Amino acid sequence: MTAEENVQRVRPDAAAIECIEVSKRYGEVTALESFTLEIAQKELVVLLGPSGCGKSTLLKIIAGLEDASEGDIYIDGALVNYVTPKNRDVAMVFQNYALYPHLRVRDNIGFPLKMRRVKREDIRTRVAEVARLVELEDHLGKYPEHLSGGQRQRVALARAMIRNPVAFLMDEPLSNLDAQLRTQTRDELLRLHRRVERTTVYVTHDQVEAMTMADRIVVMRHGRIQQVGPPQEVYRRPANAFVATFVGSPQMNLFAGRLVGAEVERRFAGSALEVGLGHVRLDAPEGTELTLGVRPEDLQVVGDGEDVVAGVVEFVESVGADAYAHVVLADGSTCIVRTPGSMVLSDGERVRLGTHPDRVHFFDTDGVRIPMAA
Amino acid sequence: MTRSVYPGSYSRPTLRRLITPRGLEGASPATTAVSYGVVVVACLVTIGPFFYLLSSSLKPDASLFQYPPVWIPSHLYWGNYAHLLFHTEFLRWVANTFLVAGVVTCAKVLFDSMAGYAFAKMRFPFRNALFVVVLMTLMIPFSAILIPLFFIVRDLHLLNTYWALILPPLANPIGIFMMRTFIEGLPSDLENAARLDGASEFAIYWRLILPLVKPGLVVLAVFTFLIQYTSFLWPLVAVSSTNLEVVTVGLAGQSSISQVDYGIYSAGALMALVPITLVFLFLQRFFIAGSLAGALKQ
Repeated sequence: MTAEENVQRVRPDAAAIECIEVSKRYGEVTALESFTLEIAQKELVVLLGPSGCGKSTLLKIIAGLEDASEGDIYIDGALVNYVTPKNRDVAMVFQNYALYPHLRVRDNIGFPLKMRRVKREDIRTRVAEVARLVELEDHLGKYPEHLSGGQRQRVALARAMIRNPVAFLMDEPLSNLDAQLRTQTRDELLRLHRRVERTTVYVTHDQVEAMTMADRIVVMRHGRIQQVGPPQEVYRRPANAFVATFVGSPQMNLFAGRLVGAEVERRFAGSALEVGLGHVRLDAPEGTELTLGVRPEDLQVVGDGEDVVAGVVEFVESVGADAYAHVVLADGSTCIVRTPGSMVLSDGERVRLGTHPDRVHFFDTDGVRIPMAA
Repeated sequence: MTRSVYPGSYSRPTLRRLITPRGLEGASPATTAVSYGVVVVACLVTIGPFFYLLSSSLKPDASLFQYPPVWIPSHLYWGNYAHLLFHTEFLRWVANTFLVAGVVTCAKVLFDSMAGYAFAKMRFPFRNALFVVVLMTLMIPFSAILIPLFFIVRDLHLLNTYWALILPPLANPIGIFMMRTFIEGLPSDLENAARLDGASEFAIYWRLILPLVKPGLVVLAVFTFLIQYTSFLWPLVAVSSTNLEVVTVGLAGQSSISQVDYGIYSAGALMALVPITLVFLFLQRFFIAGSLAGALKQ
């Protein structure tokens, strides 16, 4: 049975993975707090957050390697709180591969089937099949130490794939690869996911990986969900200031200030910049203290008269097609502006920056997004 | 130009580089000389007793205490060896020693690695407290438990049996401590991966942990075998039958109150060294460095 055929085995009506009010505490430390999430069949969900935000802990709880302090976990419609890891029907790819060093590649890949007492002939067939899928046919006789980082990663992947689990759990699987291999392996992973169509929970702190791979991103911080949504929604409509700054590179520029004026004269006034809201309606009274956020690509270097803020270029980072200018504003704060790579800006040059009211975000003093309407 | 292999043809710096041990590159000639001096003294101190043993074993009893001592006898005397081989139960002692040491070693490697795995990787109530208790037993000197142990073995009707020689050493917890340390060093992701792959706790221990701590097992095996091979006091107390005597006890029995034959002692000690050296050389090849290579991204 091929990986593709086996997709029909799972119940189409049940969510692949469901976490309900899951919490995890280590003594006084709370690693996970009331985590609730439903992951659909075939979905690729990325858990994104800084180190220590609880994303790997959640993965281990789903896998059964850690017990939840509270809450329920359902896999393929069945409550698995008290089910052992081997009976949860999930496969995990570890950050450091966790290959068995004393076994050859073929034995590493076939290990899960051997443990399930599958016939030797069947194991051989399945190993060959999965090895072909991850392009490891020529390396089956080697030991892990004789493989490159990317090949080891593929062995770990093949070992996870061979038993056709309900879901793959991937704990930062690309973090040990160099930049070029990382991009390449990321694309391979995505292709593989589309081919085998298996639910995948992918943990990373790299927002580029999250943006490029995810069907949905779950942004986490201090063990709590900050936002769940498709990558573009998370990027375009961040739920709070943390998401706004964590997702996106360089991060969103934030300016503290207050709402002034009324009706069409309404504008945001900060110590360094003023932005007229124009037709944008903001559900907050005049005088409200808030934070304005604007992404580097939504700030432009403009001509006289149309600026919202003036500043001096501190330095420019060129990344090829684009450049990021770090501009020091009047109040001493710094903001980052994306400019076309062809635009020449010199250190110390005075620039005027502009933006559009549709492109800015507002957060209240607690950092929560304030709804805007046109 | 072909280079001569004779040292005289090398330049002084090249020659110096060739005779300078690794790690002493760039050291002054005085430092190198002192280093060689220390090594030579250490070798003499180590080899000296062995050479004296060999010399004594090849001399008749009468010439053992000549003054000045004769290190290399003019005539090799094989009588001590002949006496041991043909007039004592020497081969039986060696066989007994091998049997006891072998069984104890195998059992200890198995049980200690199991216990070490449990203490290192499994979670159970009072794990740390139990481990402390195990460690505390290390602090009790053997002489303090010799008599109670004798009574226990006697009450179990095991005196004068192989079991009397085999069972008590199994309770030595040093192996558990060693194996726990070795196994604790293995990354948890490996066992977690195996757990998810469907391996039972025993399968993880047997198929994963044991192969990965092979160097540790060999260290434990050599250590245990050596201790058993040279063990004297307990075998002396536990068995009185000559059929069950081990090498140490058998050789000690060759002396009487009035006479100690050092020639026979020396020959026995040298012959007893042969099997243990062979065992060590056999196990040495299992000291494989980097058994974890390739397991995890470094």
